[in-house]
Amino acid sequence: MSATSDVIGARLPRREDDRLVRGAGCYVGDLRIEGCLDAVFVRSEAAHGVLRGVDLDAARALPRVAAAWAYADLPFLPDVPPMMDPDSVRGRPWPPLATDRVRYAGQPVAIVVGDDRYVAEDARDAVRADIDPLPVLLDPTDAAGSDVQLFPGSGNVAAEKEFGDPIDGAVWEQATVVVEASYRQQLLAHTYMENRAILVRPEDDGGLTVWVSHQAPHRLRRDIAGGFGLREEQVHVIVPDVGGAFGGKSETWPEYFVVVAAARRLGRPVRWLEDRAEALTGPPHGRGQNQRVRMAADADGRILAYELHIDADVGGYPHTGSFVPMATSMMATGAYAIPQVHVRTRAVVTNTAPTAPYRGAGRPEAASAIERTVDLLAHRLGRDPGEVRRRNFIWPDAFPYDTPTGFTYDSGDYAKALEVALNELDYDGWRAEQARRAAVGEPPIGIGLCTYVERSGAGEEFGAVEACADGSFVALSGCCSTGQGHETSFPQVVAAVLGVEPQRVRLIERDTAIIPQGIGSFASRSMQTGGAALHRAAGRLIDAARQRIAERWAVPVAEVTYEAGVLTAGERSASMADVAAGGVLRADETYAPPEAFPFGAYGAVVEVDPELGKVSVLRLVAVDDYGVVVNPLIVDGQGRGSTVQGIGQALYEDVRYDSDGLVETRSLLDYLVPTISELPPTRFAETCTPNPNTPLGAKGAGEAGCIGAPPAIVNAVADALGLRERDALQMPLTPYTCWSAAR
Amino acid sequence: MKPAPFSYVVARSADDVVAALADGRTDVLAGGQSLVLEMNYRARRPARLVDINRVPGFDRLEPDGDVLRVGPLVRHRAFEGDTVPGPLGTLLRRVVHHIAHPPIRARGTLLGSLAYAHPAAEWPAVVTALGADLELTGRDGHRTVSAADFFRGPFDTARRAGELLTELRVPLLPPGTRVGFAEHRRTHASFAQLAVIAAVTLTQGRVSAARIGLVNAADRPVRAHGAEAALLNRPLDDPAITEAGRVAAEQDADPRPQPHADLGYQRHAVAVLTRRALAQARDQG
Repeated sequence: MSATSDVIGARLPRREDDRLVRGAGCYVGDLRIEGCLDAVFVRSEAAHGVLRGVDLDAARALPRVAAAWAYADLPFLPDVPPMMDPDSVRGRPWPPLATDRVRYAGQPVAIVVGDDRYVAEDARDAVRADIDPLPVLLDPTDAAGSDVQLFPGSGNVAAEKEFGDPIDGAVWEQATVVVEASYRQQLLAHTYMENRAILVRPEDDGGLTVWVSHQAPHRLRRDIAGGFGLREEQVHVIVPDVGGAFGGKSETWPEYFVVVAAARRLGRPVRWLEDRAEALTGPPHGRGQNQRVRMAADADGRILAYELHIDADVGGYPHTGSFVPMATSMMATGAYAIPQVHVRTRAVVTNTAPTAPYRGAGRPEAASAIERTVDLLAHRLGRDPGEVRRRNFIWPDAFPYDTPTGFTYDSGDYAKALEVALNELDYDGWRAEQARRAAVGEPPIGIGLCTYVERSGAGEEFGAVEACADGSFVALSGCCSTGQGHETSFPQVVAAVLGVEPQRVRLIERDTAIIPQGIGSFASRSMQTGGAALHRAAGRLIDAARQRIAERWAVPVAEVTYEAGVLTAGERSASMADVAAGGVLRADETYAPPEAFPFGAYGAVVEVDPELGKVSVLRLVAVDDYGVVVNPLIVDGQGRGSTVQGIGQALYEDVRYDSDGLVETRSLLDYLVPTISELPPTRFAETCTPNPNTPLGAKGAGEAGCIGAPPAIVNAVADALGLRERDALQMPLTPYTCWSAAR
Repeated sequence: MKPAPFSYVVARSADDVVAALADGRTDVLAGGQSLVLEMNYRARRPARLVDINRVPGFDRLEPDGDVLRVGPLVRHRAFEGDTVPGPLGTLLRRVVHHIAHPPIRARGTLLGSLAYAHPAAEWPAVVTALGADLELTGRDGHRTVSAADFFRGPFDTARRAGELLTELRVPLLPPGTRVGFAEHRRTHASFAQLAVIAAVTLTQGRVSAARIGLVNAADRPVRAHGAEAALLNRPLDDPAITEAGRVAAEQDADPRPQPHADLGYQRHAVAVLTRRALAQARDQG
């Protein structure tokens, strides 16, 4: 296997699986760093209140406890930096340990450090935080209009934006049909297998070594250096194996700063391994939007106008979540050409735990709103939901397509994806079965569709390729695999360009001392952006080798040809290893291709227990277009994983708060995630519309199932129940929800 | 999620256990599938655990006359096979597959589940429906409590401080008894939202005895006496089954607030599941 065409698209087994499946991976919690202490956080048991004081004396008196500190004990503890949107945090500082006020249950008020996690938890239990409760706000729409202010003087709306243009009021009067609906995007937990983890070792030269389970090590390095007055090169961030991230490990969380401060003050390594109880109750939560939609259409089902109002819950601090609903807003129109579009979005602080991107990060919310609404529109018009979608698609000749909300879609063939999905689903066959069941009185089934567009990749990424004297190659990437299989897929890209076997290429990433710069892995960007950077770097490595050989042999560069690792000019030839033996042969690339817009079509068939309302997914079809796919085995895995999480949002998952603002779903006995027993028979298929903006042609892959599966399932349930009004049908579709909605 | 400090002692006999429990601050470690979780959440902080896993004879599981005797170390898994004969074995086999998943069934014990008295646990309602007796052993010797008197509320039983649940005695079901079990839960591994156990004995085509148990339909396991009475002396036909479901929902159930279900839905589900359990008993015995 050496030709380019064979390597791109090869289902190579993942190199990392051997160690990961055997339990031989190395996560932060597996590191054995001499003298390392365990940190545990004392967390607020009130969702909103005035912090009167923290009594640490009893904790400090316990044996084997190295420290128990509140905010005042750690001078120069920097505030948590905003992730994206500095305006939203103005007047809303987030001290990593609470100073005078707590704004969510679980907010850290003190850190205790002990010889191990057992004694640190004993010390935690000995700490008393004195908090006077304040009124609790849990709903973003309520909070936006409340007199209770989380940050007195700054208001609860942290960010407010409009997209598109206000809609001409006449359209609502003149349209044949206008549908309106309200949707709730419930709060979700990221539920990675490995929770958040960080280990900080202060070094003798004043620098730090930081091992952390993270998606963006260079950003974390910048934030730690900036926060603690260090030069970036003094902070060495290493990301070992990571057990899932899903958007919850891109951030610079308050706990990280506190651990850094504690390690520096103690002069000893300190680690914090978040446990499941913390992960399910504290930040980050994902999603959390109240959506209100209105859509007008003519008698043929042509959409005339679409209006979307979003109140997004960003939790007690807007630092990590305020930009997510803006991503929803910009993706509002999905796959459709709609003449009039208006979106008004508010990011609102509440007393839930702060929200952050969660797999899909704003796009599932957008797809859910419009796909549910288009389905409702078709139902109201008495038309087939596929037909109404087809009538409104942006057609292939319209690309590049500027959306009314400010994106430029690169390419797409939405009707083709829908056609493949309907065929794979056997849509007509299920419609016939639906009619048969209705006729004989068997349990009802429903069929639901979703045609989505998403956005992937953003910004630049670093990639470099170096030829080694032993004939191997090293690829360096600024991306950061948290389970995406870069060790396998990135060498494929480089090998394809170089025309060598993938086994001759190995990858280095996730270490800021070796990788000079990087952005990381999120927004489905790794292959689209990081892969494209390596693709270009490999091409430039060939150019550099030809240049060097031309000089060595004193021939024009144009006479030096390259093929499969060998340079040739006339009778002479040399291998890349020969060239590398004469001095470092390496090409560095920083590449910023435009965003891409992957798309697809999902179909679901569900049966609903007519007496108890329990939903069984009988069949799921996922058709995704990721552009050029480098390793289908890995991309299939991404499709399966994200589909499972999509099923979770549709049917099972929900972070539930009681009226005091405490999370009720405190363990995986209460917060239900789908397991193998809940997975339906699922078919995955693809169409391929190459990314026109990069030579590699890859678009993003990794989040599609979270985007496509929930609306397909919800629409199928609405179809099974024959619902005309659907506001009662809110995710997760518990048996009780479906039973109530049908009454 | 690390437990508070505790000490640990291994018991070799029932006397060892009782002696250990005398301090009032010791908990019994059998399968540990609920206890250890609660300790890790620090919701439970025993000063000491007495491990009963090495007490000889505690794993006994044997029919004895007209009862089945179950010792404190019989794991859930023991009921998956055909160890217990007859209709009782069929019923226990159907129920056990709804309990958690295989690793938990391999460690957790039936008597542990009874002592824990989780409102959504299946076993407490099974033994209540079947009129079982429980033997408690303390410093003053043994005493026997009927299942009907044992369960007092969520996580609340008649077991006194210092006592160990040493044996369960379940009456064997007479030949010809037909059994059914229906459970409603959101995912395969989650707790039951509701479940119904049914054992019906038919004599000459009519119900001569009925035992119906409700899981998670009140603050404790329920024996649905009203529904049982509604079936007596009737053929097990659709009208009788539907009537039993209605009575179970209206008279026997006493649902409490729970997430994802209002009281009306819970009563409705009691009627549906009672009907389904009885239909299974009739059609699949």
